Amino acid sequence: MMLTNTHKPDAATQVEMFRRMALLKANDERSRKVITTGRLIMPYYSYRGQEVIPAAMSVNLTDDDYLVTIYRGIHDMLAKGLPLKQLWAEIAGRIDGTCKGKGGPMHLTYPKKGIMVTTGVVGSSMPIANGLGWASQLSGDGRVAVATFGDGASNIGAFHESLNLASVWKLPVIFLCQNNRWGEHTEYSKSTPVARIADRAAAYGMAGIHVDGNDPIAMYGAAREAVERARAGEGPTLIEAMTFRHHGHVFGDADRYMDKAYKADWVAKDPYPAYRATLIADGLATEEQLAGFEADAEAQIDEAVAFALDSAFPGLDQLSTDVFGEAA
Amino acid sequence: MSDAMVQDKPAEKAAKPITILEALNQALADAMAEDDTVVILGEDVADPEEGGVTGVTKGLSTRFGDKRVRSTPISEQAIVGCAIGASLAGYKPVAEIMLMNFTTVAMDMIVNHAAKLRYMSGGQTNVPIVIRTMTGAGFSTGGQHADFLEAWFAHTAGIKVVIPSNSADAYGLMRSAIDDPDPVLFVENMPNYWTPYPRFESGHRVPIGKANVVVEGSDITIVSYARMMNEAHLALAALGEAGVSAEIIDLRTIAPWDQETVLASVAKTGRLLVVHEAVVPFGVGAEIAAVVQEKLFGKLKAPVGRVGAPFNPVPFSKPLETAHIPSADKIAAAAIALVKGKH
Amino acid sequence: MATEILLPKIGFSMNEGELAEWLAADGDTVTEGQPLFLLEADKSANEVEAPASGTLTILAEAGETYTVGTVLGTIG
Repeated sequence: MMLTNTHKPDAATQVEMFRRMALLKANDERSRKVITTGRLIMPYYSYRGQEVIPAAMSVNLTDDDYLVTIYRGIHDMLAKGLPLKQLWAEIAGRIDGTCKGKGGPMHLTYPKKGIMVTTGVVGSSMPIANGLGWASQLSGDGRVAVATFGDGASNIGAFHESLNLASVWKLPVIFLCQNNRWGEHTEYSKSTPVARIADRAAAYGMAGIHVDGNDPIAMYGAAREAVERARAGEGPTLIEAMTFRHHGHVFGDADRYMDKAYKADWVAKDPYPAYRATLIADGLATEEQLAGFEADAEAQIDEAVAFALDSAFPGLDQLSTDVFGEAA
Repeated sequence: MSDAMVQDKPAEKAAKPITILEALNQALADAMAEDDTVVILGEDVADPEEGGVTGVTKGLSTRFGDKRVRSTPISEQAIVGCAIGASLAGYKPVAEIMLMNFTTVAMDMIVNHAAKLRYMSGGQTNVPIVIRTMTGAGFSTGGQHADFLEAWFAHTAGIKVVIPSNSADAYGLMRSAIDDPDPVLFVENMPNYWTPYPRFESGHRVPIGKANVVVEGSDITIVSYARMMNEAHLALAALGEAGVSAEIIDLRTIAPWDQETVLASVAKTGRLLVVHEAVVPFGVGAEIAAVVQEKLFGKLKAPVGRVGAPFNPVPFSKPLETAHIPSADKIAAAAIALVKGKH
Repeated sequence: MATEILLPKIGFSMNEGELAEWLAADGDTVTEGQPLFLLEADKSANEVEAPASGTLTILAEAGETYTVGTVLGTIG
């Protein structure tokens, strides 16, 4: 069933969505800067261009709702409430990171804000999100589980097994596909024979929404519909949110596989400046307010980066701990 | 149990043997009765689907409800992933992967996720799941339904592997596996499901990581596990005739294996033979042999020997399949050669 | 205190890169963020920005290849 959503976010929600987008954008820009200045060495999967999706989804979630995300998921996690200092310390491999430096950017975990697993394997967010949804169903606590993934992941076995199980068990799971049209270096049409990933929902007897993931109002509506469906015990939703990534698969990737004019066209359609201008033009926010968010983000990130680079590396005593816990 | 049994005198009832399958069923039932967070999922596990293809989970969905015991589609990755996710949210799922060969379909979830989430999260999360699976040659199921793959999982940091050989250990290890805060692969030996063994006390635990010296001896230590323990016992007759006194150890846990017990025994006997149904090359025997020769090099009277299946897939044809599985004769011959041969 | 200019790792497999061209001269006053040098690695060229503001001291030669992490100069 293809759905149309009609929920519109109120003024306060819209301003909050932008505040989150401002944080996400600033964090991505700083991440790329610390890499290009040689301050940090790490593989970085930039989400620049995809800020609307997690901003619009996260305002519909609580701290108790679950998120399972992937290596291009720092935007999802920041929007969900991942603290900046622990984020930066983790990606810098320091003991004060979320995972004591032992996981790194691809395995950021912060259960206090429902960030249960980040996986580096394409598609593996989904089977685990099903389990979190099953727990919620068993306990009746009303939580929902969001699994985020890209268009490439919609072709892996785990996607199909997970949607099937979530549908037949009516699990409170939201499968959020951030379709940026490129699976690693391969363009969508070369890997996927259906025009819309959302059409695959019908194959599993479940709800599907195809939405412009760069349109904050539409994305909010889609997210809210899916969250309400899940909380009401009516089962899972597949959301296909269309978007675009500005910096290739992994940062440093020269994007030689992408036509330059095509890329320039998409970068010009960046939803961030457009939404910023719209909020002001519609009287929902002032320039001062929005510039304030951007300045706050920079200041918080400054603090977080300094914290991270000042923090110690884990000692060698950490090498073989946390493999097993103490037996009951 | 039928009404007739209830009328037995207490002493006779206590002596009545129990099969491994019944012991597993009882362990699951007792665990679920004591702890609401224990849940079961897998293909055909609920009673409308016969309570498991061999009946291990029979009666459980009727007794505990269809929410806590749930039959799944044929989707191994989804089954294990679902167990992992639910365990992160406070449940203790016991997931069934029908045959050990099908763990291969869920390897990403088992090896890349279940085994690693505690470490990669820096200890913030843990995955207290049990993955039950069965295997073992002898029923003509061929090359994809009978493999012993325990060495693969023992080689992965973050997952424990247990394989009981009898009913009391099956019960005790299952209770411990469910209690354990980390993922445990629980391997059941299908041809041995219906073998009766002595009864045990309900509620008892067998600690994970502890082997059991089942027969004491002085000339050679034989370490084994699973149904091969039956073959090792049968070899005692021939060993006795040859004047060889064998100490037999049931490993019970493959990972982490009980080095202390094995090393103490081999320090005493000076000789070791490891027996497993898995193929010999790169098997559990190789790991045990390596550690024993590292720690007891000067004390060994013979090289460490291994008896296992030959290096080929499990064949279908009955005489080939029978020849494929290590037997009491092969075990006795290998042990006698180690004791009597010149080294 | 002078800020070191390090050869960055940009891209998955890169372990070294060629300092193709300095985009400012030794002794120049540079501002944070301005393009400082051209890095060639994995057959692609990246413009690398100045990490700080101040006077540029060049230590590494254009046209040479260096491993990731090498100090190419300072800004003080």
